[in-house]
Amino acid sequence: MTDCYDEFNLEDYADVEPLPIVTGLKDELCQIMYSEEYKQLMGLMRAFLSSNELTPRAMRLTARVIAVAPAFYTAWNYRFNIVVAIAKDRLDQEFQWLDEVTLNNPKNYQIWSYRQALVENLGQDLTLRGDLPIMDMMLDDDTKNYHVWSYRKWAVLHFKDFTHELSFVDKLIDRDVYNNSAWNHRMFYMKNVSPDDRTIDEEITYTKNKIELVPQNISSWNYLRGLYDHFKPETGHKGELLKFAGGFIDALDLNATADSAESLPEIESSYALEFLASEYATEGQLQRAKNAYQCLALKYDPIRGSFWNYKITTLEA
Amino acid sequence: MVNVSRGNWPMDQGQRKLVKFLERHLGLLPVTQEGNDVNKLAIVFYSLESLSALDELVCKKYHPYKSWLLKHYTTWVDADGRELGGFVGSLNLVIPGVNSLSLANTLFALVCLLTLCESYEEFENTVAPLRKPIIKFIKCCQLKSNGAFVSVLNYQSSEPSPVDHHDLRFCYIAVSILYLLGDRSISDFQRHINVGKLMEYIMAQRCDVGGFGEFGEPHAGYTSCALSALKLLGQLDQLPNTYKEETIFWLLSRQTSGEGCEFLQEGKNENYDALDHGGFQGRENKFADTCYVFWCLNSLQCLTPEWTQFTRTDLARSFLQSRTQNSVVGGFSKNDEDDPDLYHTCLAIAGLRLTEGKFNGELCIPLALSDKFRL
Repeated sequence: MTDCYDEFNLEDYADVEPLPIVTGLKDELCQIMYSEEYKQLMGLMRAFLSSNELTPRAMRLTARVIAVAPAFYTAWNYRFNIVVAIAKDRLDQEFQWLDEVTLNNPKNYQIWSYRQALVENLGQDLTLRGDLPIMDMMLDDDTKNYHVWSYRKWAVLHFKDFTHELSFVDKLIDRDVYNNSAWNHRMFYMKNVSPDDRTIDEEITYTKNKIELVPQNISSWNYLRGLYDHFKPETGHKGELLKFAGGFIDALDLNATADSAESLPEIESSYALEFLASEYATEGQLQRAKNAYQCLALKYDPIRGSFWNYKITTLEA
Repeated sequence: MVNVSRGNWPMDQGQRKLVKFLERHLGLLPVTQEGNDVNKLAIVFYSLESLSALDELVCKKYHPYKSWLLKHYTTWVDADGRELGGFVGSLNLVIPGVNSLSLANTLFALVCLLTLCESYEEFENTVAPLRKPIIKFIKCCQLKSNGAFVSVLNYQSSEPSPVDHHDLRFCYIAVSILYLLGDRSISDFQRHINVGKLMEYIMAQRCDVGGFGEFGEPHAGYTSCALSALKLLGQLDQLPNTYKEETIFWLLSRQTSGEGCEFLQEGKNENYDALDHGGFQGRENKFADTCYVFWCLNSLQCLTPEWTQFTRTDLARSFLQSRTQNSVVGGFSKNDEDDPDLYHTCLAIAGLRLTEGKFNGELCIPLALSDKFRL
């Protein structure tokens, strides 16, 4: 008998009675003009699923079917059962095969839950190191792929290995400082490694530098505010943050009430102004908060004008 | 900077093209669609739902296909003799001895039945024999470990499939099916699934800045699933007020702007385009995308009846009509560059109808349908 990872060859199935697919029904919608190859493959696949044959040739068939129809969830499930039955000591090869499918189907999410199933159920001897090349490659190609980031966080938690994460997100933030997924991963890392005060202060400095690079960046602002909320919740620390934010709007006088967009100066970041407004509101400096919201509505973020005006009414209540 | 036209959508010529685009997808499909064969009911759902939202007389025209649709209903009897029922995405997945029931395709099929049934009574009579087996299937899709749902079971048993994902999409789909089958109150739902565990899972998907997502990164699609599920369950008041406010602000902030300080990103942020003015993005610092108009606006309508006052729905509409609608072949694309596709067309129509007050967002069906079937 030939091997699980050999090429698919139709001759190996000569003895199998296929279960032909359904075609040419009356009153059918979305009738697909199936190719002969598809009809043949699906006919075989249906027969194999029905008999639940757990053999190398069944495994080769799943590879071929998944290549043609990667969304065929039952084929993935079937393959998993075959691996458990006859190939669980050959995970290296299974991952090699899976990596190839992954590279060919970057937006498919089934590949990641399949990977997770292999690691969770059969991967007692695995480490995060084995997952790194494919994750790095996929994120290098599509730096905000949600499925890959989710899998990465799952894997890091599963293996309890955070050693590669900080340098990895450093690299991605250097490449694109607007990458929200990378900033989010950075926060995930920080929350999980229980950093000391010095590390947090270094993080704050790092983030401030990134904000100075491009002040109109929601991701770095959210991260900075998140650092304070999580690691420095005592209000005494907020003073330095207020000063930092103030630096991006220094041409603007928040003690004056603006009446038109034309009278307002240019500022560097609406996020700095929004942060100041919310802090002033919390501290009870209501007039300054209202002025700030008014400026956002008039000039700095007019698309959300009605929301900023609503914020003003909540301060007046 | 950006031309804001308040067009009378749907315009006659545009609508004709749209209808043609949709009807083409229900006809003979080229060999390139083979890969979608296993989820064929998704194609049927996006097309029929869209046509129905365009006020086309879907029910009359496509009623003859109802029996074909019902052929996709199949059952599986497990080792304990329990009969589970549900729809499969394609007749090619009806295989003797194999459990290939699919949660997503079950919802797609039920909504298709709504578009095809002529009366409330017809729908009731059609689903009555399916109700109990489907509910058993849904129950089996809930994970005991964390309360979330998977979308398929193991092909040889009634256990959750070991290789399927569990997430907020499938939680929403499970709740939505139960609602369509008659569950209304929390005690109705509680009879069929573990609502407490599901609530725990949904709440655990909340993110620091508002919204819902996996491992702390909020995503407008997941947010819409979470909020719609909570609304159908009647559990939105379980969300703390501060969290609701943060989520409203997070959602409003997803409307992309070509004005004010946002324009400072031009030429710096490679995922920013000032011409996307008024569209919505699914996450921070991403391009606007047709489908997120619906996911964001639907999330907002779940949270506050005042949503139309807080957001520029006029700009969202012109983003769809003038930027992502294809005037040559009909249909909508993801953005101003791609070819139109069925998914984005369906979501664009849903988004437009939602802003007109003619769409039931949490059930994702035209209001005319939810009224007709007392949903």
